Amino acid sequence: MIPVRVFFATDIHGSEICWRKFLNAASFYKADLVVLGGDVTGKVMVPITTHNGYWEVVLGGERRRIESKEELEKVQTQIRNRGSYPALMSPDELDHLSRAEGAVDQRFGTEMLAALDRWLDMADTKLGGGRVPCILNGGNDDFFEIDPVIESSPSVTFAEGKLLDLDGFHLVSMGWTNPTPWDTFREAPEEELAPRIDAVAELVPDMERAIFNFHAPPYGTGLDEAPALDDTLRPIHGGAVMKPVGSKAVRDAIVRYQPMLSVHGHIHESRGIKKMGRTLAINPGSVYGDGVLQGALLELNAKKGKVTKYLLVNG
Amino acid sequence: MATEALGEERPALFLRKATGLVRGWSVRDSLIYACLATNFVTLGIYEFTFAGPAFPQGQLITAVIISGVWVSFLVITYSGLIVTIPRAGGDYVWQTRILPLGSGLGFVMSATGWWFILWLWAPIYGNILSVQLFEPLWATLKWTWPGGGYAWFGTHNGIFVVSLITIALAGVLVSIGMAGYAKVQRWCFIGGLIGFAVVVALLLFNSRASFISSFNLEAHKLFGANNAYAATNHAAAKAGYTTSALGFGPLGPTMLLVPAMMFFILWPNWGATLYGEIRGASDFRRVFTGMFAGLWLTVILTVIFLLLMAKTFGWGFYQNLNSLDYNVTPQFGIWPYPFMFAGWLVHNTAFQVVLILVLSLWFFGWVGTLFLSSTRVIFAAAFDRVLPDRAAEVSEKRKVPLYSLVLMLLPAVGLSALYAYNTTFVTYTLDATLVIAVTYLFSAIAVVILPFRKRELWQASPASRIKVLGVPIVPVSGVITIGLLVFNLVEWIKNDNYFVNKPSSFVYMGAMYVLAIVLYVVARLVRRSQGIDLGLINKEIPVE
Repeated sequence: MIPVRVFFATDIHGSEICWRKFLNAASFYKADLVVLGGDVTGKVMVPITTHNGYWEVVLGGERRRIESKEELEKVQTQIRNRGSYPALMSPDELDHLSRAEGAVDQRFGTEMLAALDRWLDMADTKLGGGRVPCILNGGNDDFFEIDPVIESSPSVTFAEGKLLDLDGFHLVSMGWTNPTPWDTFREAPEEELAPRIDAVAELVPDMERAIFNFHAPPYGTGLDEAPALDDTLRPIHGGAVMKPVGSKAVRDAIVRYQPMLSVHGHIHESRGIKKMGRTLAINPGSVYGDGVLQGALLELNAKKGKVTKYLLVNG
Repeated sequence: MATEALGEERPALFLRKATGLVRGWSVRDSLIYACLATNFVTLGIYEFTFAGPAFPQGQLITAVIISGVWVSFLVITYSGLIVTIPRAGGDYVWQTRILPLGSGLGFVMSATGWWFILWLWAPIYGNILSVQLFEPLWATLKWTWPGGGYAWFGTHNGIFVVSLITIALAGVLVSIGMAGYAKVQRWCFIGGLIGFAVVVALLLFNSRASFISSFNLEAHKLFGANNAYAATNHAAAKAGYTTSALGFGPLGPTMLLVPAMMFFILWPNWGATLYGEIRGASDFRRVFTGMFAGLWLTVILTVIFLLLMAKTFGWGFYQNLNSLDYNVTPQFGIWPYPFMFAGWLVHNTAFQVVLILVLSLWFFGWVGTLFLSSTRVIFAAAFDRVLPDRAAEVSEKRKVPLYSLVLMLLPAVGLSALYAYNTTFVTYTLDATLVIAVTYLFSAIAVVILPFRKRELWQASPASRIKVLGVPIVPVSGVITIGLLVFNLVEWIKNDNYFVNKPSSFVYMGAMYVLAIVLYVVARLVRRSQGIDLGLINKEIPVE
């Protein structure tokens, strides 16, 4: 049986350059399958105000006047590449957004969905309508409205809560995480995560060939080390003190079910690999803001039920 | 979806609530870290014992200020790198991302500068612990155990044993993690500053006559020496040593002190990391301010110390003490620890002991980080499959990075033995600075070529907007930093007085680079035979 080559990346947070790289990863790494493990949407919206014959934007603390459409496009690309959403609006609209309750949320949602639509169109072109299998699921930072949009794409398979059979392997996915200080969309207490995990894990017919694609990394494994924060969300002791913030339910599930492979994200700065019994657990981390797509290149052997090769890459 | 608007009159951007949106770390924390790294007590005073006598025509205060100004450009350079690619991993990440031949070069530079050379820092730290804590403590308390009392710590066995204690201490602190140690570190900094303030008060409010009489009295009490102050000056004169009076010139010999000052002043960027994903114009200022303030606090403390030495000890006497240690044999057979002598102004053994202990907090506040960077490099290399996977293993039960500790501790023990028992090796102290300076050099080159090699990344960085007269100062600072490092490297290599340019010293340093290159090449070959191409690690995926 021919080994399957998988490219796994995660947490690109709206970075268009990372998405483009992700779509090219299959051909670049000669991968049979690409998986994006959640947190697809961005966190920042940058207003560009329209005026008579010019536009204005503040980038990195510096106000810029944009004189031409070409320059505007360049600035929009620059904003998108860093994982932010450029939002064109009049000064009055900007004032309204600043004041009206819920207006920013609504505009954020519109921009996120529009960007996702564009991304999925790119996927249709790049992935040849499903010729290269591409799997996506949400992460804790992704609002639920993206689910049906991804679900409807012909080129991308939405994996959340499903069992997917891939050339003899069984992939189960969950974008939910344990609680964070930011109170995000898909997070739940550990005691609620455990039954969620069990619900998908029980679908797996053969754990020897199972892949867990869980956004939250397992607790205390070195794949979940984030800077310890004070109450104001400022890293304490100069950011030198790290603490485990992963999920105990995910950890317990890996220890109990012992899948062949377990891939994670969520904690960007905790890139690493951990052997947990027979399970190889990986968090490739993320530096989406730099336009670099971190990922894991994996070679899986269905006959042996094991990961035969792996490499963390900075593409 | 809760959101937050950032900006002055009209918001410049909107943030929604999402994981990882943290505020930048406090300038105060950064300042403490930078000040402890450029540790003027642990490293600075230790270095002055060598630097003054080795370059007697040079002026220490001028050299410290010149070094501070020059290293400020290194601070700007590193601030630029930190806000452009703000990742833990520092030099390794910057060099692998920016430089041509990045993967191999980045590994060689980080392995030598942040791992292998730390093996040598272990006995250097051990020696500092010996001379700044054990020797003065034993002498003050007149303890005679082990055989020879305080003098035992200066013997081969003494240096080796204290190095082992230092290695064990640093190893344990790596094992228990930074969480507990960071708190200790802050208290050590505060305690150390209080101790220094006490010394300042003692030296400020006592006259030289009072110091001479106290010195003579305590030296007689502890070491049986008669008229010790005059005897010290006489012994130095007899050995042919003459120092120049404290002043500000001449520049030539003073510049030769700069490479020696690097032993303590080159490290304000040691803890250089930044977390937080939304980078704005204020980030550069925040990162820069912490490191810059830490560096200049060190410079100011050093200048205060040197001026007080001149006022109360007498500049010639202080330099004579150092010269006897450097050229002949230390007065009373003990390293001339100025803080111990300052404590003699109070004729109370308990006070003297407490002062020595409090000032040792400068050592204990920093020693825990000795192997911290090495662990990170070993882990990064293991995740990159350059080292065996096992190197990054952490024991489940005790959370101890056992294999990486072995990779740090065992060679450090071997180097400590060499340092303790080989009389030549002990003089290679500045090798420990040189190798890290070479690593810095490549990061400085990286910052200079950053705007050309990674144009988009540079343009998006807050660092690109820091300009003077329209010129971006970060790459310019990179050039000035290259100048600083090249100047030091040239002096270290061509001038015999730094003890770096002995053939065996070159062999030792060269062996580290060879080891790093061999490790990398073997890793590539082994992984290739396993069907893994390490060349893929940093190869950029095309965008279009």
